[in-house]
Amino acid sequence: MVNPSIDVHAFAPEIVITVAAVVCLLVDLFVPQRPELVPRLASIGVLAALIPVLTLAADGSDRSMFGGAFVVDNYTLVFQGFFLVVAYFTLLISVDYIGEGDYYRGEYYVMMLVSVLGLLVMAGARDLISIFVALETISIPTFVLAGWRKHDTKSNEAALKYFLIGVLSTAIMLYGMSLVFGMANSTVLSDISKYAATDTPALFAGAVFLTLAGFAFKISAVPFHFWAPDTYEGSPTPVTAFLSVASKAGGFVALLTIIRLGFFPSGDSWEPIIWVLAAASMTLGNLAALRQTNAIRMLAYSAIAQTGFMLVPLAVAGDVPGNSAWEAVVIYLLIYGAMTLGAFAAVIAAARRTGSAEMSSFAGLGRTDPLLAVMLSIFLLSLAGVPPLAGWFAKFVMFRAVFDAGTTAAVVLGVIAAVNSVVAFFYYAVIPRKTWFHEPAEGAVDAKTKPTPVALNVALLLTTATVLVIGIYPQFFARLGELAFTPG
Amino acid sequence: MDWFDDWALTLAVFLPAVGMALVLAIPRAQETAMKATALLTALATGAVGIGILFRFDYDAAGAMQLDVNEPWIKVIHSRYHLGLDGISLPLLILSMLTVIVCIIYSWDHFPEPHNPKAFLALILLLEVGLNGTFVAEDLILFFIFFELVLLPMFFMIGVWGGPNREYASIKFFLFTLFGSALMLVAFLALFFLSDVETFDMVTLSDLGGAGISQGTQNLVFAGLFLGFAIKVPMFPFHTWLPDAHTEAPTVGSVILAAVMLKLGTYGFVRIALPVLPKAAEVWAPWIGLLAVIGIIYGALCCLAQRDMKRLIAFSSVAHMGFVMLGIATLTDFGLNAAIFGMVAHGLITGMLFFVAGSVQERYETREMSRLGGLLTQAPKLGWILGFCAMASLGLPGLAGFWGEFPSILASYDPAPLADGLFGGNNLYTYRTFMVIAAIGTVLAAGYLLWMLQRVAFGKVNAEFEKAHIHDVHVPEWIAWTPLLVLILVLGIYPDILFSITDPAVSPIGKVFS
Amino acid sequence: MLEHAWLIPALPAVAFFVILFFGKRLPKKGAEVGIIAMTISFVLSIVAAVDWIDRVNAADTGEHGLGAFFGKGFMAAAEGEHAVVAPVVKSVTWWTSGGVDFGVGTYVDGLTVMMLIVVTLVSLLVYIYSTAYMHDDRRYTWFFASLSLFSASMLTLVVASNTIEMLVGWELVGLCSFMLIGFWWEDRENSRAAIKAFLTTRTGDIGLMIGIIILFFTVGSFGVGATNSYALSPGAQHDLLLAASICLMIGIIGKSGQFPLHTWLPDAMAGPTPVSALIHAATMVVAGVYLGARLYPVFYDGFSIEAGGVNMMALIGGITILIGAVLAFVQRDIKKVLAYSTISQIGYMVMGLGVGAWVAAVFHLFTHAFFKALLFLGAGSVSHGGTHHSFDMREMGGLRKYMPITFWTFLIGSLALAGIFPLAGFWSKDEILVNAGSNGFDTFLIVGLIGAFLTAAYMTRCVYLTFFGEYRGHAQPHESEPAITIPLIVLAGLSIIAGIINAAPLGLEKFTEYVEPTFAFPDLVHAEFDYPKAILSVSIAAVAIGIAAFYWFRHEETGPLKGLTQRNKLAHAGYTFLENKYYLDHLYENVIVDGIRGPVSAAAYWVNQHVIDGVVNGAGRTATRVGSFAYDTIDQRVVDGAVNGMAYETGEAGEELRKVQSGKVQRYALWLFAATGVLALAVFITNVL
Repeated sequence: MVNPSIDVHAFAPEIVITVAAVVCLLVDLFVPQRPELVPRLASIGVLAALIPVLTLAADGSDRSMFGGAFVVDNYTLVFQGFFLVVAYFTLLISVDYIGEGDYYRGEYYVMMLVSVLGLLVMAGARDLISIFVALETISIPTFVLAGWRKHDTKSNEAALKYFLIGVLSTAIMLYGMSLVFGMANSTVLSDISKYAATDTPALFAGAVFLTLAGFAFKISAVPFHFWAPDTYEGSPTPVTAFLSVASKAGGFVALLTIIRLGFFPSGDSWEPIIWVLAAASMTLGNLAALRQTNAIRMLAYSAIAQTGFMLVPLAVAGDVPGNSAWEAVVIYLLIYGAMTLGAFAAVIAAARRTGSAEMSSFAGLGRTDPLLAVMLSIFLLSLAGVPPLAGWFAKFVMFRAVFDAGTTAAVVLGVIAAVNSVVAFFYYAVIPRKTWFHEPAEGAVDAKTKPTPVALNVALLLTTATVLVIGIYPQFFARLGELAFTPG
Repeated sequence: MDWFDDWALTLAVFLPAVGMALVLAIPRAQETAMKATALLTALATGAVGIGILFRFDYDAAGAMQLDVNEPWIKVIHSRYHLGLDGISLPLLILSMLTVIVCIIYSWDHFPEPHNPKAFLALILLLEVGLNGTFVAEDLILFFIFFELVLLPMFFMIGVWGGPNREYASIKFFLFTLFGSALMLVAFLALFFLSDVETFDMVTLSDLGGAGISQGTQNLVFAGLFLGFAIKVPMFPFHTWLPDAHTEAPTVGSVILAAVMLKLGTYGFVRIALPVLPKAAEVWAPWIGLLAVIGIIYGALCCLAQRDMKRLIAFSSVAHMGFVMLGIATLTDFGLNAAIFGMVAHGLITGMLFFVAGSVQERYETREMSRLGGLLTQAPKLGWILGFCAMASLGLPGLAGFWGEFPSILASYDPAPLADGLFGGNNLYTYRTFMVIAAIGTVLAAGYLLWMLQRVAFGKVNAEFEKAHIHDVHVPEWIAWTPLLVLILVLGIYPDILFSITDPAVSPIGKVFS
Repeated sequence: MLEHAWLIPALPAVAFFVILFFGKRLPKKGAEVGIIAMTISFVLSIVAAVDWIDRVNAADTGEHGLGAFFGKGFMAAAEGEHAVVAPVVKSVTWWTSGGVDFGVGTYVDGLTVMMLIVVTLVSLLVYIYSTAYMHDDRRYTWFFASLSLFSASMLTLVVASNTIEMLVGWELVGLCSFMLIGFWWEDRENSRAAIKAFLTTRTGDIGLMIGIIILFFTVGSFGVGATNSYALSPGAQHDLLLAASICLMIGIIGKSGQFPLHTWLPDAMAGPTPVSALIHAATMVVAGVYLGARLYPVFYDGFSIEAGGVNMMALIGGITILIGAVLAFVQRDIKKVLAYSTISQIGYMVMGLGVGAWVAAVFHLFTHAFFKALLFLGAGSVSHGGTHHSFDMREMGGLRKYMPITFWTFLIGSLALAGIFPLAGFWSKDEILVNAGSNGFDTFLIVGLIGAFLTAAYMTRCVYLTFFGEYRGHAQPHESEPAITIPLIVLAGLSIIAGIINAAPLGLEKFTEYVEPTFAFPDLVHAEFDYPKAILSVSIAAVAIGIAAFYWFRHEETGPLKGLTQRNKLAHAGYTFLENKYYLDHLYENVIVDGIRGPVSAAAYWVNQHVIDGVVNGAGRTATRVGSFAYDTIDQRVVDGAVNGMAYETGEAGEELRKVQSGKVQRYALWLFAATGVLALAVFITNVL
């Protein structure tokens, strides 16, 4: 029993976040008269956590701990950076939203930070146990956050649904993991991958499947998606944003890690699953989204469809030479994060102006608040993948992976993806059309108009900038994607 | 001058973007400032164009000039590669000119809902896409610019369009989106199939599809074909066009007809033919067939129209048919004709849409049955309409003729292909096309003259006898004069254009002969 | 001047723009510009002619100057041998394709010079005439602008050095004809006639275009000289030339109002009379003939004219002579009479070319230009001074008393047209017939004679109805002003003497010597002047006049033929058949044109809207439907249909929670495990198998 040496530098980001969480808790407890302090501290904490990430990146050497259960390499750092930025934006979106409703405020940020902690760990986790722990650390606070609007039955319903299904899926996942452990005699992914390379029994595929099913729930892939629309609609919108970006990304990272470093060698155990998940998510997500009248619900289904697109490169990864498939997933994830956060921020802002998230209420926004309308349109059209907005490059790398693989299965998936990306335009164009092509409804707007708060505007402008810049010069994110898989 | 040579194309493409930013920065109230900024930007871009005309080496019109070749997206081996040759130059200039005259035209009558800020911004954004497409030498870059024009046009139709604008705009967008999706797929296929994984058009053209099996080539070409054919538009992918044109605001129709349709045909000449010559040879007769069907079919649809603007829209289908026929011959004759046809159609149909717009503005209708006697109420406008109609029906001495006749000429003697349609003899196939196309010219004369008769000739309709109809306004004069002059000059001395395009197309022609 | 022939079309072209932009501000409203320009062009043409004659003489005998032109004739007639005189060709690059430069320029030889003189002279006279005739027209200036543009285009067509350039001129004169027929476009009838003319000729132009294309790829050049030399070269591909000839012939049929595309010409009379005289009698309509003469070697080889027998060209010409002449009888409108007469006279020219009588045909073109222009202008003068702008002969009659000049000149014109010795028409027409006979085309000789008979007869009718009998109009008839009568007199003079220029018996064969090309041209045999035939044709004409005069002069009502059409069914049928112009117009306008404009185009558009567009919209609709299905059925009902309902119904939280715990979980758990199970199965299948 050797006691593992702790590399503080490697853990610095996690430590910072933990400290921040604790501080927030205490401040909220002892300085209740200064409620605006908490969010500020939280933001500072998140930004502070970025510093060690950068220093580690500058240092560049890979660090492995706990017998390879937790590793800090470029892959880890890229995602930790991403998670922290996302967290910061979520905070920006949250401040006023949480401030204005009669919610518990301090706790909100504490929960958020804990979840972020989970995300940071997830980025470095290289072992079934640590992945599981990270996943739960991410999820449990979000179960609570989902029900934050405590007087709203819808919010409660959302929380409960999310919680119960979450638990069930965790159960399945654990069962799968235990089976894997039973066969591979190790929870460390590197060992599992060694085992997977051997001639595995059919049961192994079952185990793999059960494990992946758990993650499928996390990333709300069809047919494990059904909690998403209700939960997204019910939860406070900032939380929805966090769920659909951060925690989904967490799930993806887990999936990526576990497949790439664990199950990869036995391709036919996981490829078909991912393939089916991808196809189903794209198609059903899109078709369902076509019918939505509520902006949040539409975004929820679009998020499901996007999951499908993101899974495509993963599904064909087995046949793609080099890392380009993995890179595709990462690039897609980064771009998806930017535009989805933006979209949610814009919808929040629009809903503040019109007093409703029903798309019909956005009619004529182009006249009443052109800037907001422009940004709203930019995000949605970017999600639709229209050049020169960031979305196109995400879609592009996805298709690129498909053609790089070039197998029949890959091409079929590519065709499904192509058809879906055209269909997607139908519903992504609804809000732009409402905002620009339609007259404002009589008096509806001015009545409930609330000005867009500063924090929200900052979030909007930054995400808009990102979407535009990345759309015109994708090299930034592309490079990050590349970096994630270059050993330090 | 070296500085200019390095930056000319970049400026030509992105100056309008700068202008757009400025226009957006100007507060709503100061409309004149916006207009001035937009116009100055367009003129500045035009000035760059003139500079290019001076720096362009006409003796080497076949080679890429004023090259810019910088890394862009390393990860996917895509570069920021701009270049210009005898094929791109006329179209680049055409698009610059069109934008300038459009801004001038809309100076004092912006369509409802007014909002000049957004309108001008969109026009300038459009110009970025258009100019970019004509000089892009990298497939991905080309794709981006090619797509960039969609959004502005989508909003232009949707916001400033006619009663049925939503349907028209979404139809336009989905059609083209579908086409470009397949085009992108084809580009990717080209990337992975070519041994040197690259998106560089020049390299790919030099390879000429080397090492790709015939079957695969045909498939990939199909992707390119759909992408471009929808944009042209070729029968039977044309149905977005009449709706888009009918609903679009005047300026929108003009830009659409004058420049945007050319993106498709340009794509054929610049990418599809040189990159996949073997496949082109297989596809050519079919393209030719669709082209001549388009010629006759478009003309017939024109004859069935009551709405002046819709008629002109359908006439575009017919005219682009001639262009595509020229391309389908795969000969330098045909390609020259095609490019001349693009420019001529741009000028003439653009003018026709301007006139149609001005007529609608004055009479608040485009119903030809209600119009009439335009020559009595607004003689100048009437004669301009007559002039454009004549040019459009391919009257020798005006630009239209040099797009039409040479492409008919070329189809008598196409490139030596394995065989024509249904395994028939290639020569007979194309000579049949020639005859059909020639018949098309008569139909063209038919519908244009009947339009002229119903709109310009005859007596003024009772309902408008009292109406005060203003003849051509000053902005209209300023906007139209350059177009009218060019139609005449190019018609009288076509070598201005042919001498530029010929050296550029001859290498493509040689590939097939 | 031969080198600078381009000036001749250039001047009126410049005049066009000047009149267009500044005409209204000029004292004479632009007329003067046109007239001045045309005068200069005319003078230049004369100079060109002189130069050409000089050139020929120089080549033949080394003699110079006009002296030779007059002096030489008498002796030269015997020895018809000429040295080859190359045409004067000037050309500059016009357009480039496939690395080949295509030129634009002038091709001047005897034929060109002759046409130049005809066009410029008649134009000039018509301009002068119009200053009076169109005097108070609201678009006076525009009229002169169009006329100038026309002259410019026609002259371009004449001097053209290559077929494309010809095509340009050819189409532009068509445009002018369109603009001038529809000159009074307020009246729908006129614009209709204009469009009819344009479309009909353009239909013919399909042939022309394709013909030119075939020639280009056969010869490898658009050049007139090159084409002709190729056609005569031993290696020429006969069948391609035949194809080309047929196509070009279609063009000629359209432009020169030959059967079966002649129907536009009578309607074209809707235009102002000077226009009819210039465009639809003297110059534009003979463009076809000119093309035939210009590219004669092509037709000569293509239709193998040398072999004799029947060929398309001669046949079309022959038919046209008759159908035109017959229709001239049933017209009440004097201009229509003349129009049909033009049709049939051009028939003579085309037939002439078809039977190898090149010189005769061109010569007839030359003379016809004068007397037919004269007749039209005369008719115009009649309506101007006599009947208050009506051309209906039922409103005329007895006008010889009121307008003597018009009468006498018109009479001269008619006699010339009827081919009475020694007027212009006699020489040219007779020459065609003689050569037709001598070249072994006897059928066409007879056709020609019948034509001559009919011509004489209908002109007699026309002259009678207009100038003899009682005045039936409602105006105060008076002689027209000098601007009108002077051109009449000039033309009358020409109609008398023009024939002498190539009067074989007098030993004058200037056309044979100077107009007939010697470069790249088949050596045609020229029939000797044949007295019996000449006498025959003249006497036939005389007889015709006699009969006609006998029929009309001794007042119809007592005549034996009076009311024949009422009494005799056959005659009546024939009459209505003619009344309806052989029903060709019905075929073209009601069947073909209306067919395409109506049902056919409607059908095409229907297909567009319902079939092609239907597919598109269908796709859209299906997508949405599938969407609703996927959402409502799969996603909502199957998955958690009830859930939402329950969620919204109950307002109260506790109740809600209970329901949640009781209701949803099982359903969800069930679904979750179901999904897992199904997929697991799939996985096992994919793996175990």
